Amino acid sequence: MDLAINQDQQALCDAAQDWLGDNMPLIGLRNRDPALFDQLVAMGWIGMTSPEVGFDHASEALVFIAMGAALAPLAALSSAVAARWFGAQGKVALAIPDHDRVQVFDSPGTALALGLWQGNAATIVLPETLDVRDCLDLSTNLAALESTPARTTASDPRAGLHLALLAAAYVLGCAEAARDMAADYARLREQFGRQIGAFQAIKHMAADMAVRAAVARSQLYYAACALDEGGADMAFHVAAAKRLADTAALANARANIQIHGGIGMTDEASPHLLLKRAHLLGFLAPVETRDLLPPIAKGLP
Amino acid sequence: MDIGFSAPERQFRAECREWLHAHVPTERRPLHAADALDFDKEWQRRLFDAGWAGINWPVAYGGRGLSLIDQVIWLEEYAHAQAPWIGANFVGVNHGGPTLIANASEAQKAWHLPRILKAEAIWCQGLSEPGAGSDLAGIRTRGRVDGDEIVVNGSKIWTSFAHVADWQELVLRTEEGSEKHRGLSWVICDMTAPGITITPIRKISGQVEFAQVFYDDVRIPLANVVGGLGNGWKVAMSTLGFERGTGFISDQVKQAAEVDDLIARAQAKGMIRDDRVADALATMRAEVAALRAMTYRNISDVIRNGQPGPEASVIRLFTSELGQRIERMAVTLMGAQMLEFGYGTDNAVADYLRGFAATIAGGTAQIQRDIIGERMLGLPRMR
Repeated sequence: MDLAINQDQQALCDAAQDWLGDNMPLIGLRNRDPALFDQLVAMGWIGMTSPEVGFDHASEALVFIAMGAALAPLAALSSAVAARWFGAQGKVALAIPDHDRVQVFDSPGTALALGLWQGNAATIVLPETLDVRDCLDLSTNLAALESTPARTTASDPRAGLHLALLAAAYVLGCAEAARDMAADYARLREQFGRQIGAFQAIKHMAADMAVRAAVARSQLYYAACALDEGGADMAFHVAAAKRLADTAALANARANIQIHGGIGMTDEASPHLLLKRAHLLGFLAPVETRDLLPPIAKGLP
Repeated sequence: MDIGFSAPERQFRAECREWLHAHVPTERRPLHAADALDFDKEWQRRLFDAGWAGINWPVAYGGRGLSLIDQVIWLEEYAHAQAPWIGANFVGVNHGGPTLIANASEAQKAWHLPRILKAEAIWCQGLSEPGAGSDLAGIRTRGRVDGDEIVVNGSKIWTSFAHVADWQELVLRTEEGSEKHRGLSWVICDMTAPGITITPIRKISGQVEFAQVFYDDVRIPLANVVGGLGNGWKVAMSTLGFERGTGFISDQVKQAAEVDDLIARAQAKGMIRDDRVADALATMRAEVAALRAMTYRNISDVIRNGQPGPEASVIRLFTSELGQRIERMAVTLMGAQMLEFGYGTDNAVADYLRGFAATIAGGTAQIQRDIIGERMLGLPRMR
């Protein structure tokens, strides 16, 4: 039993954070060079758990937490799963089914999208012409398909869990970014003659952000190991990790806007970017109540 | 990272499970501290005789000298077996003993530690005072050095098991005029010494477990000072890390079992068809899983780096608040039946009522949030 980050993993996290800080700052989110995605691929961060690369799920999740905190492209999620389970190379767009419709994110530059249908990972071939437009999450763009194209479904149920785990890592990164942004601002901003972070009303909001993130990060580590082991409870642990990370990201993103006050209401400042990303990721591998209850309690109305 | 246990660890787990299965008492632990004393002592003595007391204490003082992981395994199996709370032995085994191991002289350790493990000596804490609760550094109980003795005057409160204890870990002000954390000393106080008066206090659950203690010219030998005169704050703080590490494992395993039990009950009563109930239970199930993961993470950090990571302070806060949510849910599922509770009843309502202490005792949830904000997030101090 060991749920601590080892030296190799720490080095991986540090390298990812450094590169992302230099190349994907939030400030340039809306004007990112599409070629940046190719650099993610070139650095080997897409498809780390593929058999030929051979990282464990925890190491991959650590990199995805860092990418999630930088609001890195959504296509990294779908591309990583497509690389491992479908042998795809390069960029694959992210598909989120909405009843019969499909919302496709980050579609420019690829003809393939990957998403989850009833918990199973599947790819679809995109139509040649797409109506690509802006959407809630300002880091990406959206093309809506009015009907679902033919799907190629992964034969292994772990493919779906893999996407859910990476989504949990991304959304946890978002939760942690909100926590850190709020703490930074609370140390900087002064009112009533002192830093607002000294006031317990603010400090305790920030502490709750830290608690939610710590809880979600711990369960994410456990879920990553459970997926390595492939035991009967892996689906529960991944679902628990996703649920806790979703809750943390939305609550932290909201608290971050509140702590920023008027500045938090502006398009220019970054807090809203995290809120919008958190909402989007909530629709990817959404966790239902029954996913978290024991098997005997399933079959509920 | 991995979540598996080694072959020797699995073997150790099997041994724990087998012994507990055969020896966990079938009768219930009595409700009030005074009535439970004999039960608590007998159970602790059986644990000691079978080699299960002080799993990670040094062999020289009666412990087993095993690893932190073995300690975790024992505590997990202990809770799985629904073994009784160690009750009156709690302070000695989980707090006083570890503090002595870290700070006491050889003579103090040799005398006290084996007696704690064998339940020959019951300990109580002596930190909070009527005027020093969350602001613990406001301690005013005085100790005046007089020859080779300290003469103590003042009062301590919320002292669990004071009225059945033999010894107390007493933190008092031994430097006249000193302020805050300075000038305090950690002293072993004989609870039978002349000048001590103990007034038990009834809790909102009806239970009589804690007390107020008054000291009127109580004389304590200077040899009972632990860690040197004036170092009391450092000594008292030295075991807080333990409390935040393995101290809550049994609670967490119990919480996991309770949540699954609540789910079964909600199903039997048809209440799980209420989406709010179902989702609250589902969330709790995710949270108890995360809490175990967080504890494993903390222990892994201790093993790897020799000290807990910054997340350690989160464990205590999260455990206490999750426990209260679980207790509230149990009462919700009871419905109007909860109104039939009376003092002396030991059921889910009693758990719910005594559970309010979880976010008060040992540092309120508000103080925990201050600590998290200041130490994890680097926010400025107000005080």
